Amino acid sequence: MRVNEYDAVVIGAGVAGLAAASFLAEKKLKVAVVTKGEPTACLSTGAVDVCSQGDEPLAAIQKLPPEHPFRLVDEETIRSALNKFQQTVNAAGLPYIGSVEKNRFILTALGTFKTSCLVPVTMEASPQNASESLHIVTFRGLKDFYPGYIISRRKNAKFSVYDAGVSTTMSLAAHFEEKNFFEKFLLWLEKQNIYQDKIAFPAVLGLESAAEIVKTISILAGRPVFEIPTLPPSMPGRRLFNALKKTLRDNGGDIYWSWPVTGIEAAEATIEAVTTRSDGRPASINGKAFILAAGSFIGGGLTVTRHGIQENIFHLPVHIPGSRETWFDDNYFSMNHGIGRVGIAADAAMRPIGTSWKNIFVCGSILAEAQILKNGCGHGLALATASAAAKSCAEYLAR
Amino acid sequence: MNYEHCIRCTICVENCPVFRVNPLFPGPKQAGPDAQRFRSDKERIEDDWVLLCSQCKRCEMACPCGVEPAQIILREQQRYGREHPQTKTHLLFANNYYLSALGSLAAPLANLIAATQTGKKLAGKLGISTHISFPRFSFRTLRHERMKQSRTAKKVAFFHGCFINFYRPDIGRKIIRLFAAFNVDVVLPPQWCCGLPALGNGNLALAKHFAQKNAASLSNYIDAGYDIVYSCTSCGLCLLHDYPGILEIPQAKKIAENCYDVYEYLLKLMEEGYAQPKFGELPRRVAYHIPCHLRALKIGYPAAKLMALIPGLEYEILDDACCGLSGSYGFKKENESTAIQLGQRAVSLIRKTEAQDIVADCGSCRMQLGGLSGMATYDPAEILCESLGITAK
Repeated sequence: MRVNEYDAVVIGAGVAGLAAASFLAEKKLKVAVVTKGEPTACLSTGAVDVCSQGDEPLAAIQKLPPEHPFRLVDEETIRSALNKFQQTVNAAGLPYIGSVEKNRFILTALGTFKTSCLVPVTMEASPQNASESLHIVTFRGLKDFYPGYIISRRKNAKFSVYDAGVSTTMSLAAHFEEKNFFEKFLLWLEKQNIYQDKIAFPAVLGLESAAEIVKTISILAGRPVFEIPTLPPSMPGRRLFNALKKTLRDNGGDIYWSWPVTGIEAAEATIEAVTTRSDGRPASINGKAFILAAGSFIGGGLTVTRHGIQENIFHLPVHIPGSRETWFDDNYFSMNHGIGRVGIAADAAMRPIGTSWKNIFVCGSILAEAQILKNGCGHGLALATASAAAKSCAEYLAR
Repeated sequence: MNYEHCIRCTICVENCPVFRVNPLFPGPKQAGPDAQRFRSDKERIEDDWVLLCSQCKRCEMACPCGVEPAQIILREQQRYGREHPQTKTHLLFANNYYLSALGSLAAPLANLIAATQTGKKLAGKLGISTHISFPRFSFRTLRHERMKQSRTAKKVAFFHGCFINFYRPDIGRKIIRLFAAFNVDVVLPPQWCCGLPALGNGNLALAKHFAQKNAASLSNYIDAGYDIVYSCTSCGLCLLHDYPGILEIPQAKKIAENCYDVYEYLLKLMEEGYAQPKFGELPRRVAYHIPCHLRALKIGYPAAKLMALIPGLEYEILDDACCGLSGSYGFKKENESTAIQLGQRAVSLIRKTEAQDIVADCGSCRMQLGGLSGMATYDPAEILCESLGITAK
């Protein structure tokens, strides 16, 4: 009996990796996720952007350049991947609202609007225009959130400060899940003179039970309450990661933490195992198919060296448009840096182009030409391509 | 230690259990790579907050850049221990092995005293927290066991560690019977404390002393053809990670190459086709709490794979919450509040699963979770034995 052999091994535990693994595990395939560390999804706002280049994300996708990885996935797969995501996180206790048919805004910590699509229920009441007045509640000493930025942009906003005795997002979130602290806070909130339309909080309202906390405050205050994403550590990002992890576990998938893939074992054109260095024996995990979802530069899937750009695990050919001079714009804050187009090019079956490996699929932000910042497609692209890669992988395994 | 690889992403901070509840601890990023830039061997270390790190290693597990904040802090803890006078509590817990040996010898008396108000007051005077009851010493340690030897093809040397030997030899006996069911003979090599409690209390010299003695003994057994198995995940992590690392043990590589977690080893036997046990039905729902150090061993969760083979057994894996005890860490008065808050969070997550019992590989996790929740706690070995119809003598 082989216990350590899997149908599919997914490399990377971000949104793409966990989603792809869950899609496969749901089909009763034996799946393992291996990951070097925790994903950049933990640092994200938690919101799922699909395509921010218009009001309707699906229509906006059709206007993306033909080489964009979203164009590899048909509309039905995108729609069902996102619906599926909403169902699963709902079941994991983290409802996401919104619809793939229409984009919506979330208010940022700078007071600007970010175009997103599916957002955690704690951001449901985020204003969709400039007219609603806001009361911002913040916490003494919290360094990752300055209400002054928002107020400088929105004249109809006021703020008050609660002294929680702690001043980091992590410890605030832990405190909000304690009954005594929460009750004391609610007593304080009642005494505040709040006449504005909505109450805004930095996203520190708990880790496991944020939805209930937001609901409780809004019932007590008699007006909608919403969270504004903060600088990392980002609670909404971590909640999303936890929900996806739970979904995979519930479907029977295994996760190997701190397992940086350092080598592969192969026979002819088939990869048989991934290996890692360890304190003692080299460890390996066998699989019939592999999905690469290791992320791009920050995630650790791609590395830039003096000599070029490489994909770290399978040494797949990397799509690099243009010479090094075109990688970076002069403007640091540009959304259009050429390096955003670097990645692994794939075909419609999410197989990497230009490799002879037969049993490898790729998804998520490591895909070439994604330009996630410019197109506003973080997490959405990951979910859609994960679904497509999982589908191809399952078809491959069924053969 | 690669502290210069840190990109300040704060994922380690998100994962630090102590940082969540103790505002005095600046978190793994600041205590580790950030502060490391300003440290010099030529200056005395004055950062007493490095002692607040419980060495759960969650920061290292989470780091996407290969930085090892806990390792950086561990080295500073040793430096602090060397450059500052040791407190009574630190000295006591570093010498946990001798303390436990003594307690076992006088078990009935020691247990009686530990349970009385006077005993608790005495503990308080020594800076020991009594938020959960201290484990009961066992008069008959595992080492008193007379080992039966048959002529099996495989033999393992069992590094049982202090917890099983002095407090829960019954679990040790079950593990030995479990191996017998897999057609493997077990021997108990001469062994001492793995050294982790000494490290955790800033006593590098004592840790090295223990490690050298263990390494010599285990190395002999490896040469004689034995594989080493450990049951305590913290002992295992110390053997595999700290012997070649901070303790600089010459035989460390050999030990690491031949050292297995009990369940990892049982799985390996099944993979090789050496044993094909028939697991009986066990209709039950348990919460499987993953000790931080099992995560840090990078071997996945082997006991979960074995439990998955038991018909009727439902388990939910919980690996997000540290139980807060971290061996002797939570028994120190100054960490009591941290330990209780973390433990309660872990218990609340366990209650959400509506499980009947708690299963965990680590003895101190079981002590903390059982003590705070009042639920029954089991080692995976006990569950496997029950399913295989093995009863302790």
